Amino acid sequence: MKLRPTAALGILALSATLAAPSVPVSAAGDTILFGSPVSLTGSLTKEGHLTQEGYELWKNYVNAHGGLKVGGKTYKVDIKYYDDESKNDTSAQLAERLIDQDHVNFLLGPYGSGTSFTVAQIAERKKIPMVEGNGAAEKIFNQGFKYTFGVLSPAKRYLEGILQMAKAQKPAAQTVAITAASDAFSQEVAQGAAAWANANGMKVVYNNKYPDTATDVSSIISALKQTNPDIILNAGHLQDALLVQKGLKEQNVIAKGYGYSVGPDTPDFASSLGKDANDVFGGAQWSDAVKYKGAPGFIRSAPEYAKAIDAAYHHRADYHNAESTAACLAFQYAIERAGSLDPEKVRDALAKLDVTTFYGIIKFDSRGINLYKPMVVNQIQNGRLTTVWPAFTADGKPIYPAPPWGKR
Amino acid sequence: MHLVLQDLANGILAGGILAVVALGFSLVWGIMNIINLAHGAFVMLGAYLTYQLFASLHVDPFLSLPVSFVVMFAAGYLLQRYLINWVVRAPILTTFLLTFGLSLLFVNIALIVWTGDQRGVTTAYAGANFTIVGVTIPWVKLYTLLVALVITGVMHLWLTRSKTGRAIRATSMDIGAAQLSGVRVASIYAIVYGLGAGLAGVAGSLISMSYAINPNMGEPFLIKAFVVCVLGGLGSVQGALVGGLVYGIVEAFATQLDFTIGTQHISGSGLQDAIALAVLLIVLIVRPTGIMGKATA
Repeated sequence: MKLRPTAALGILALSATLAAPSVPVSAAGDTILFGSPVSLTGSLTKEGHLTQEGYELWKNYVNAHGGLKVGGKTYKVDIKYYDDESKNDTSAQLAERLIDQDHVNFLLGPYGSGTSFTVAQIAERKKIPMVEGNGAAEKIFNQGFKYTFGVLSPAKRYLEGILQMAKAQKPAAQTVAITAASDAFSQEVAQGAAAWANANGMKVVYNNKYPDTATDVSSIISALKQTNPDIILNAGHLQDALLVQKGLKEQNVIAKGYGYSVGPDTPDFASSLGKDANDVFGGAQWSDAVKYKGAPGFIRSAPEYAKAIDAAYHHRADYHNAESTAACLAFQYAIERAGSLDPEKVRDALAKLDVTTFYGIIKFDSRGINLYKPMVVNQIQNGRLTTVWPAFTADGKPIYPAPPWGKR
Repeated sequence: MHLVLQDLANGILAGGILAVVALGFSLVWGIMNIINLAHGAFVMLGAYLTYQLFASLHVDPFLSLPVSFVVMFAAGYLLQRYLINWVVRAPILTTFLLTFGLSLLFVNIALIVWTGDQRGVTTAYAGANFTIVGVTIPWVKLYTLLVALVITGVMHLWLTRSKTGRAIRATSMDIGAAQLSGVRVASIYAIVYGLGAGLAGVAGSLISMSYAINPNMGEPFLIKAFVVCVLGGLGSVQGALVGGLVYGIVEAFATQLDFTIGTQHISGSGLQDAIALAVLLIVLIVRPTGIMGKATA
């Protein structure tokens, strides 16, 4: 039998939806069980593992310090994970399984806006509160969901800081070109940056998107190069950030500043690109230079948190770690304040939460998103990530304009 | 005008890589009638081989090409001989599931060995480029294209001139007649599958220089290989080359499309995939055997 291409394509699509391995965990009477479908394989593997590290660090800390006190009783915490393979639908199915079969008390978010959006719908239907630290698209929060809370600053803010910083330089940046992946998060990031630029007297000279599965972006870079922008921004994820940065050098595109929504903050960016990673800006939810004093009950400052991550996982703390831990902290303080494990009471306590942590303020607006915490801007300076904006929290000055390729 | 030439160059440079990715996939499919879902994983393994040689022994990525080919050829040969050969006559779904399972296995092994971190092969000459009539060409991608052309040329000559090559083509045309003429089909199949894996490995090594390396990097290339070889025509060397170049050029030009329907502004670059698949659909309607394909009985 010869197989026709069209039939084969159908089978190809079908086979892609198979298989999801799991890690077994037992739920005891004195344990609060959290569940999370998270990207342990698939295109967001790296970010998924950083998320899991953030969750695990919190779990281990809490258990090592006696557990959580809820209405006079002390509970250990445990987290059950499933691998969602970075797929939105799989993530939702696994969330359903966590609630129906594993009987988790609460959900911790998956990695990414796409997955967080589908899981939020399950949380809503099952009335199980979810706090997520890795889905910043406002689309998630504009559905009127009552059970989903996000500790992140919203997506539209990701690149604002870089533009603010560039505008404060002398001479101020005047033109900006934006490239963005086609997923919901990246599109909101790009729209937010374009809106800020337009409202603040900067000109958007190029604004275009590419599919998030792109394997080549050279034609976008060719078109962007013709507009000769002061600032080049990319709204995407680590994999495409690497593709764009390599492409900019290959076509010798020279700008005063290069900024990414996701990429420079992950150590892989500098280790993959070497010197070509230098002087690049990244918008970040958090850095180990931020100067917040956290409430008692957990590690209280950013440098101490960074030390704990380094001791446990032997790498520099990444903002994905911090925001994931922050999601757990939101539950910790809300559960303690609710004095109960009842999903409704914990939900109400989350809605009223207003607490400062090592990560910053955790407080949700009526839609469930954290509008109260500013973003920071990091720059890779001589291979090292340095926080350069906002000035009150910076540990270095921005290098601007960037030296030409080959001199970094 | 410059942008048109630049896009043409971008498309050809990207298409050359796609041609090598698709070539091995196309041979295995055309000759053995196996849609090898592990092909993307082989690409990934080739990229990691190059990365590992570069990171630990400072071997230039271009010098690692023969290593990738030999290692992956051997792996593919053994896999076919001792595993896939058991089901090579089974209904297509069986080989489909087997190669899909192999793909999952390899991706997860890579995840254990190299973790999910993104890796890169960044040489001292990475990003070096020259400009000719206003068109900027990166050297690495130009060399990659040349390697791709040499590989397809050599493969074409080998398949048409050498004894083994002719036996391979005979097997694909009529197994029974080939066996009667003394061709050992099991060994031919193992060679073809080995070639498929070896070419995927070389493609992975070439890709490692311009694309982020991670355990799942093969997936988009598997899908593109599928489209390219249907577009160009199954099982033929020229088909993979033409298909790859057409796909690359279509994607490059799709990027610059911008149009407005009513109040809705549509950007062609977000629709690259859709436009490339639309071209595939048109080709399938007009020429169901692909651009270079010949009708078979």
